[in-house]
Amino acid sequence: MLDTIEKVINKISMPSKDFLDIRYAYAMGESFTVRNGRFDSVSNQTTGGVAIRALIDNAWGFTTIVTIDEESILKAAEKAIRIAKIGSKFAKQERKIKDDWVFEGKGMTKLEIDPREIDKKTKFEKIIQTEKAAREFSDRIAETSSTYQETHSKECVINSKGTKVENENHVVRIMKNVIAREGTEMQSVFDSIGGTGGWELIQKWEPEKEGLEAAGMALKLLSARKPPSGRMNVIMDPSLTGVFVHEAFGHACEADAVIAKQSVLENRINKRVGVEEINVYDDPTLPGLRGSFDYDSEGTKARKRVLVEKGILKEYFHTLETATALDMEPNGSGRAMNFNFTPLARMGNTYVDSGDKSLEEIAELTKEGVYLKNSYGGYVMPAKGQFYFSCQLGYFIEDGEITDMIGNVGMSGMTLEVFQNTYAVGKKWAPEFLGTCGKQGQGIPVTAGGPDIGVSGIVIGGSQ
Amino acid sequence: MSTKINLHELAEKVIKLGLSFGADQVEAYTIFGAARNVQLERGSIRKFTDVSNSGLGVRIIKNKAIGMASTTIFSHDSIEKTVKDAYSLAKVTPPDENFKSLPEDTRPTPEIKGCFDQNIIELSVEDFTVMILEGVQEAQVRDDAIIGGSFTAGSGERFIINSQGIDRFSKQTSITGYLGVKIQDGDDIGNAYYFDSSKMLADFDHLIVGKEAGTRALKMLGSQKIESATLPILLDPDSCMGTISPIISSGINAFNVFNRTAYFVDKIGDAIASDKLSITDDPFYHGGVDSSAFDDEGVIPQKLNLVKEGILSTYITDSYTAPLVGLDNTGHASRGSFASRPTPSTYSLDIKAGETTKDTLLEDLKEGILLIGSSIVDMSGNPQISAQINQGFYIKDGEVQYPVKNAMIGTTVFEVLEKIEDFSKEQQNRHGHKSPWMLLSPLQVSGGK
Repeated sequence: MLDTIEKVINKISMPSKDFLDIRYAYAMGESFTVRNGRFDSVSNQTTGGVAIRALIDNAWGFTTIVTIDEESILKAAEKAIRIAKIGSKFAKQERKIKDDWVFEGKGMTKLEIDPREIDKKTKFEKIIQTEKAAREFSDRIAETSSTYQETHSKECVINSKGTKVENENHVVRIMKNVIAREGTEMQSVFDSIGGTGGWELIQKWEPEKEGLEAAGMALKLLSARKPPSGRMNVIMDPSLTGVFVHEAFGHACEADAVIAKQSVLENRINKRVGVEEINVYDDPTLPGLRGSFDYDSEGTKARKRVLVEKGILKEYFHTLETATALDMEPNGSGRAMNFNFTPLARMGNTYVDSGDKSLEEIAELTKEGVYLKNSYGGYVMPAKGQFYFSCQLGYFIEDGEITDMIGNVGMSGMTLEVFQNTYAVGKKWAPEFLGTCGKQGQGIPVTAGGPDIGVSGIVIGGSQ
Repeated sequence: MSTKINLHELAEKVIKLGLSFGADQVEAYTIFGAARNVQLERGSIRKFTDVSNSGLGVRIIKNKAIGMASTTIFSHDSIEKTVKDAYSLAKVTPPDENFKSLPEDTRPTPEIKGCFDQNIIELSVEDFTVMILEGVQEAQVRDDAIIGGSFTAGSGERFIINSQGIDRFSKQTSITGYLGVKIQDGDDIGNAYYFDSSKMLADFDHLIVGKEAGTRALKMLGSQKIESATLPILLDPDSCMGTISPIISSGINAFNVFNRTAYFVDKIGDAIASDKLSITDDPFYHGGVDSSAFDDEGVIPQKLNLVKEGILSTYITDSYTAPLVGLDNTGHASRGSFASRPTPSTYSLDIKAGETTKDTLLEDLKEGILLIGSSIVDMSGNPQISAQINQGFYIKDGEVQYPVKNAMIGTTVFEVLEKIEDFSKEQQNRHGHKSPWMLLSPLQVSGGK
């Protein structure tokens, strides 16, 4: 496919001030779900096509096609150029891509055991046993489900500046979801493992243990105390720290949001955004995590990004366009969900680095408040710097001790206040938030994490 | 986009292929669409997009086991592989004893007016851009307002054919757009957005998108943190629909009812809300953005009274769930995409208006919170709600005092429905989704002060 694309690129004459890239993306995936003892969904998905992007005189034109012969790609490229030229008549801001950044190479996820070689019945067994163990735990368990997913994708991209890159990626995941119900009270427990790699990542999932643990926790939550309401000290566990650093802080570090003046971190490079103990990184080169990759969808080599060092903001997430606009270096953050979308500045594996406090020490410093765990996800308004996350469970902290359990609750805060109001950072970070990050209609796999951190002034939305 | 014959042939081929492999039943769901998008950044054009959104979803049943496969590639080899994949999955999957049959419905397809507009097909990129920039002009409430957004004009055709005699075709157009506006005075940020969506070009109001986004952003300047308190909540029509719609859609979905995770299990005929609440669901509203002559399995739906004076009237079902809850198939199957299995979902809700004016509802509030485009919903799916106030205002003695920031509402879906105190007589109609203003008795508000 790379040859076909190269032939097309070579047939199009582009002035050096302009830019054209052609990306072929193909993905095949399987997804199986067992719910309440029945197979709820057993499916196989294939997507494939070619994306063509042209930047002409400050405006982008973008087209996609699912026919992949040379003539069709050439016609689509001409169309992308044509609509970019129309856009350029209305564009007011300068937009270009530097000639300096040319990448060549081939990236591939390390696969120890190719999941495509694993019998479907073996995959089925993992989710059947997980779901069954949870379902049979108690008659107060209302709904149980377990899902297995694998995706195998190939991408190759060539651009008019000379970049020529191929990428192959494999992502697997197994999940469990249990809902316990008593009258009108319901509590859910969700968890998953997985990442880039093969069946070896799924092998460590012990179905019965996983099912029983989820069911047991869901039942405990039914009799948990009602969550409190108001502004208080909060300890966020590695999952919640992860969702904060991704949703609230990470999205604000995306350079397209900065350029669009929709980020509270605009003009804050080399300025203090947190206390001295805060260090934040994003590293797609960490092996095996959901947000791991070698090259992004623009063909840029991925590398570790140092977002915050000792509380000082150091770096944004860049595409080729944003790096040019802000006169910075691209860092391999241009990710696209599939051929039907353009690459955007995105995260990979984002985390707060470890500090020096044990959980007990953080609780002691907290005195009164809550310890919240396991996020369902959340959303953020980057321009305003306000975030919201939903947590599966938590505990009261009373007189410096972690005490009674509380059920699911939401939390809200201001992005720029959290790292400034951090009073303790835990000893060991963990990549505990496995998510699918959404931006402009594109969902991409990511991981986020951190240690337990203690933060003052978070608003908790309980009902009492 | 003259794909009708080809898509129909393709779908028929899928049915024949599936049956020839040995399937008991086969369904082909095909869509072919095209969309033109214009993205704005800082008030200027950033990107033009012209993409196709097409795909084929195949569902195959063999010995009560269901296998599904999908593709975006319409070549002969790809189609054949997709059918084979679905059949292979059905063969290795354990049977689902709850599955009865794919639906049978040979009634003629009803006509719904206002779903297809040739003007959208013929809208040139230049004219579309000029229209968008007029919207941007309206949003420019201050010279330093930062305006971003996205507008899309698209069209699509849909074929659903199954081996039980379903054979449906529809085509529609759509135009959608939103603008976000940010205004900043030092650390004080006013940020808001507004959107419109329609199937007909003449019904799409690009100017109101800009005007509302701009004026709302101005109003959001000067936000303050508030103390925690128990306060009544007044919701504008978008907030009311955004709150009630997910509660009802999830709460009466027969799939959730069967799994006993719906909010309203075994509640047909019982009070689930204040007697002020009456809701109908109308799939046939002419020009409705979510109107459809048939559901995503090809079954013709019914206009339903969902809730009448607080009493739950029915659940919404599809072919799989109707027998499980002992009701007829109401034709509410909905797919997230061509690749998804359908589950029940509502079309266009009409929340009945009350008799009090919206101004009276506001003026009578001694103290409370006004929500504008900011729903009371929770991400967990549980009945407990712990929701952030995205665009809310503190009210004192019937007057808006200031926007609030960093505040949340803690409640449950049951409490929200029980505490409906009144609806306004004014009702907003967003192309079939009709909603009045709604007043809720005091709820727990967590403040950031």
